Amino acid sequence: MTEHLFLIFLLSLLASAGVACLAGESRLLRKLVPGLLVASLVLGLAIAAGSFLNGKIIQLDFSGHLPFAFAFAVDRLSGFFLLLICVLALPVVLFSLSYAEHYSRAAWRWYWCLLALFILSMVGVVVSSTVFAFMLGWELMTLLSAGLIMVEGDSDDRRRDLLIYLLMMHAGAAAVFAAFLLFVPHAPALTFAEMRAAGSGLPAQLRMIVFLLGFAGFGMKAGIVPLHIWLPKAHPIAPSPVSALMSGVMLKTAVYGFTRLTFDILGNPPAWWGYLVLGIGLVTAVLGILYALAENTLKRLLAYSSVENIGLIYVALGLAIVFQGHGLSGFAALALIAALFHSLNHALFKGLLFLGAGAIHHSAHTLDMEELGGLQRRLPALGISFLVGCAAIAGMPLFNGFASEWLIFMSLLKGSALEAVIHFPALPLLIGVIALVSGLACACYVNVYGITFLGRPRSVAAEQVRSTPRSMDVALLLLAAACLALGIFPGIVLHPIFILAGTLIPAAAWPSDVGVISRAMPFVAAVVALVGILALLLTRRFAAVRSVDTWACGAPGLTARMQYTATSFSKPLRFVFRSVYKPDRKVDIEPPGRTYFPASISYTSVRTTSFERSFYRPAVDLVISAAQQLRRLHTGNIQAYLLYIFLMILTLLLVLRFA
Amino acid sequence: MMNFVMNAAQMLLLVLAAPLLRGVISKLKARIQKRRGASVWRPYADLWKLLHKEDFVPNTASAVFRAAPVIVFAVTVAAAAFLPLLHPAAFLAMDGDIFLFVYLLAIARFSISLGSLDGGSAFGGMGSSREALVATLAEAPFFLVLTALAILAKTASLSGIAAWTIHQDFFDVSTVHILAFVALAIVAVAETGRVPVDNPTTHLELTMIHEAMVLEYSGPSLALIEWSQAIKLHLMAALMIGLFAPWGMSETAGLGAVAVAIGLYLVKLLCLVVGLCVVESSVAKLRMYVVPDFLRVASALALLAVIFTAITKR
Repeated sequence: MTEHLFLIFLLSLLASAGVACLAGESRLLRKLVPGLLVASLVLGLAIAAGSFLNGKIIQLDFSGHLPFAFAFAVDRLSGFFLLLICVLALPVVLFSLSYAEHYSRAAWRWYWCLLALFILSMVGVVVSSTVFAFMLGWELMTLLSAGLIMVEGDSDDRRRDLLIYLLMMHAGAAAVFAAFLLFVPHAPALTFAEMRAAGSGLPAQLRMIVFLLGFAGFGMKAGIVPLHIWLPKAHPIAPSPVSALMSGVMLKTAVYGFTRLTFDILGNPPAWWGYLVLGIGLVTAVLGILYALAENTLKRLLAYSSVENIGLIYVALGLAIVFQGHGLSGFAALALIAALFHSLNHALFKGLLFLGAGAIHHSAHTLDMEELGGLQRRLPALGISFLVGCAAIAGMPLFNGFASEWLIFMSLLKGSALEAVIHFPALPLLIGVIALVSGLACACYVNVYGITFLGRPRSVAAEQVRSTPRSMDVALLLLAAACLALGIFPGIVLHPIFILAGTLIPAAAWPSDVGVISRAMPFVAAVVALVGILALLLTRRFAAVRSVDTWACGAPGLTARMQYTATSFSKPLRFVFRSVYKPDRKVDIEPPGRTYFPASISYTSVRTTSFERSFYRPAVDLVISAAQQLRRLHTGNIQAYLLYIFLMILTLLLVLRFA
Repeated sequence: MMNFVMNAAQMLLLVLAAPLLRGVISKLKARIQKRRGASVWRPYADLWKLLHKEDFVPNTASAVFRAAPVIVFAVTVAAAAFLPLLHPAAFLAMDGDIFLFVYLLAIARFSISLGSLDGGSAFGGMGSSREALVATLAEAPFFLVLTALAILAKTASLSGIAAWTIHQDFFDVSTVHILAFVALAIVAVAETGRVPVDNPTTHLELTMIHEAMVLEYSGPSLALIEWSQAIKLHLMAALMIGLFAPWGMSETAGLGAVAVAIGLYLVKLLCLVVGLCVVESSVAKLRMYVVPDFLRVASALALLAVIFTAITKR
């Protein structure tokens, strides 16, 4: 029965793509597409909840009809990620209703068709149980998202960014595929079940190679440093609902793949894998948030902040591996719970923020924070939900981001020092690093919300904003409510996630901390609400409110240009971390040479490219110079080529003789 | 029942006595500077006066501006529910509340920074940008200090750490304690905006931080902010006492023990206050860009504290 429902779910996603393609002029069909999508996603949600909560395993096998093994299976882990996809895809579809309205007929058709297929491909990745099904979904996911990026227009810049995206994704896919293909001698059919059985029996060398390939390949998709550079290029140019899906869900499919490979298929990872993942995760988190802080363009900022959050998720995954390697399965489970919960939380609040950015663009036609301001008064529903997203991602208690960050802190503290002692005294120091990251995130999102939504509008566009359509507000408020609900009652999903973690880490004991946070947050919320109401009664009893001009030191009046901007807000922190940014500054003085009385001065600074300049540029230069050297072999002289052939044969003969 | 009364008493003490603490500090500072100074009850009169004044709201501001003081007050009081004062337990004491405590104070900072940006003047942005700098750099040493003590006491709860420390010989724990105490003192100075990081008694310096943020607030909103700021100062003092010198807290529920606990708490608080006043009267405020170096000292000390505990605890 459930198998049939699952098949219907997959087919109805496919059908909505088909209907979108055929819709054309017909009004009815055009209305049908979102409806069909919503219905199928609700069905998917029910299926996912069944598997995630009750552990019901659904299997669909097409291997009999095809020359290779091709099958789907939904277990608890797949169910969790399927839930994550459906939970975010629903508001995204709602949001797209009005977002895609202004598209031309052709763009509209492409958008909905590709969107449905994109969701289907992501679903395919997390539910597939054979390598071929997985790789099919994995590749389609890349290509379809690239197609969705092209829906919003075409230019040389976009093509260049898109090319980098596609190149890196295919390199990643190649690494993942290679990791899987190494299983062939041991599991010839390449089904996950077979690989799982063979996984722990592989020679240690091979296991290491598979792990490293998988780590790099999935890491490419997840955007871990140094493989993150596609992320701030591809996410901002996609339509906002697609950015929300890419950042909220597509990155999580990489987390899924990594978790599946490391904990499920290979199993029993040694501790040093964990230290590697942990180290790279930390670097990712710190660099990601530092670059986010320096950005002024909303969507690029959010993309860098995704890098940071992926870093935190990898830190938790690394901790889980470290603890499992040291035989501390209870703490390993705790860290894994933290990683999975943070994945869900990040999907919710980053989806919310990207959709919010889309709504801002819809209303004010710009995403440059220096042009915005004062939106809270003009767009209250958007403002409040965006504020919830900012508070959640900054890790404020009572919102969901805090609960997962708290779990990361607790697993780190308890596992490394408090209850079980790993002989590695540097481990508790990482608490300081994560604290720094969360402090920076807090500063970054004060900047984002404060500059974009508060104060005076900094441009005419921000002053005369269009109101947001109802469906956008509903989508945003839904996500905001979810962030708040999971922040106050994290226990709702933490308990099933623990059972899920128990299936991946054998013999995991129930970590008491999960219970502690689930019980404590409602109390904290109650205390805060109670004191807040008391304070409100205390102040509102006496208060008469008068609206006045902002104090301007007695001067005639303030203008919007006198406010702090996003650049000036982040300046002190950028100054402290200047060795990371090494900004590219350019001052143009017209006419040149007249430093003191110029006709015009223009100043530009690029602050978020230091990584590309110091890491990728030298590597590219090295490759090019090596190629230049090799070019000398090409003399164009036939005798020289004959000599090469002769030498080659000679070498081969020698090698074959003595080898 | 007795426990509940004690918990309520210590939380009320933290909240209600906070303005008095401010009054005592300014009185003492005045005396050190050879002035007579205002009465120690003056902060209460100020609050009362502010509560009855009109609330001036900038005409560009949104609902965030008026909500911020209420949230600041609510979370600061909620944070008070985690601190042990008279006995080594607290209302909401739980495993891992060391992190929750810091994060609750972070909510206060988050909302007041937003409230100040909502005013639409240059001062608000200035204040909140600088607050972001100080708070970000103070967060890591704050967490590390708490981590060091948590490892030492083998518990991640503030009350648990206090309960453990009471039964220790001072000389057994002093190495880590001294390092951690100095680091926490620096963090506390930065968090509460005292000299040498920020000057709480001026509205006129271009380098002001907290005062720049609250420049647009008036009337009842300002009263809530001032009160929360006083509570925060008291919280940090009580945190230092609870973590480093809990000796004297009553472990039994007798009235005599409680009286002793209150008396000793006041003495310890007075010691901290005298220290703060001497520092504030004798040291000049740091230049803005020297503050990160100051906080780096705290981070280094906190790192050492964690390394020492992690090594010795093996």
